[in-house]
Amino acid sequence: MEQKAKTIGKTFSRETSVHASIAADPAIVWALLTHAADYPRWNSTVTSIQGEIKAGGAIELKSTLDAKRTFKLKVKEFVPEKRLVWGDAMGSRVYSLEKSGGGTQFSMSERIGGPLFPLFAGMIPSFDESFDKFTADLKKEAETIQKSKK
Amino acid sequence: MSTDELSIQFPTFQRELKSFLLRLTASVQDAEDIVQETYLKAQSKIDSFRGDSSLKTWVFSIASNLAKDLLRSQKRWPETVTDICREETLQNKGFLQEAMHIRQTSPQGNFEIREHIAFCFTCIAKSLPLEGHLVILLKEVYDFKVKEIAQILQLSEAMVKYHLHVSRKKMMDIFDQRCSLINKQGICHQCTELNGIFNPKQEAQEELVKIEMAREADRRNRDDLFDLRMNILQELDPFESGAAKLQLHHLEHNRQVMEKYLQNID
Repeated sequence: MEQKAKTIGKTFSRETSVHASIAADPAIVWALLTHAADYPRWNSTVTSIQGEIKAGGAIELKSTLDAKRTFKLKVKEFVPEKRLVWGDAMGSRVYSLEKSGGGTQFSMSERIGGPLFPLFAGMIPSFDESFDKFTADLKKEAETIQKSKK
Repeated sequence: MSTDELSIQFPTFQRELKSFLLRLTASVQDAEDIVQETYLKAQSKIDSFRGDSSLKTWVFSIASNLAKDLLRSQKRWPETVTDICREETLQNKGFLQEAMHIRQTSPQGNFEIREHIAFCFTCIAKSLPLEGHLVILLKEVYDFKVKEIAQILQLSEAMVKYHLHVSRKKMMDIFDQRCSLINKQGICHQCTELNGIFNPKQEAQEELVKIEMAREADRRNRDDLFDLRMNILQELDPFESGAAKLQLHHLEHNRQVMEKYLQNID
């Protein structure tokens, strides 16, 4: 079941999360999430990712959320077909996959925060729309591959 | 299975294996070497063949691993390979003289546009990531099933589907941008340009209408046209066709140009 992204804001942190059922094997979803160079082809929220998404890897991500900024991120957790976490000192993006029948229960969340968070919280745009687009793109592409006649 | 049975069955798919390796490595010598190594390895490991797959699938798995070992140390070619090589060709008088000599003297020296279409795919497919290159050849040209490709490459079936989907999309996008046969905005005319050089009395347009992919360009969608392009590769044996010697000479030229080009961009 698809749900719209939700954000819970607190004084020192903010967390956005989204969940979706994807009618595709977790291996396909995982492949889409971990092939860095392929992101711009299917994901309308990512302009480019340089580097390799692998255990201990470092990536430089450009997104439509802030076109002028390059996010320098480290891959913090890498459990194939189950869990991927990347982030920086400010926060972490967590992708979780769970096999469910012939498909995948997908969830994505990002928590940003820290002692200085209240000072710049107002400058950080909402992630909700971007999360919804990311999830819709992932679902569409993974299900297209799953259904491919080839 | 015994080594005697292997020696009887191996030749039934040896030509396909050699052509697969040529299209993967773009090198006649590497393809021939890997075929030999594959046979020797299959012979030495025949006791481990349990019949979980066909012998052909098992042998292609050995060959794919040997090819991967070789190709992992080499850089992938750029999408613009044919443009780069064309420029080099125009500056290399020796190349065209040799090619013309092959054209005039060899029984396998014909120039055919459909042969060049297959040759062009071989060069451009080397810009795909290695796994994607292997998957697209095994599925689209050598007609292995997804399950068999998963066995050959030791991947899950889902990953095979992923690589196939991405590679097809990428190749379609590349040809959209350069092949005037299937996209009227395309810019590459090398096949007809070469036809003018090697077959000066032959009208390129007349030759093109003999090719289903070119004939159907306005009526079919991208996927269909890509499948028609793959049909051309399926029907051609790059070592045995009437244009083989000319095309292999051209391929070796491109391979050498690419080797130099990739060294220089280090």
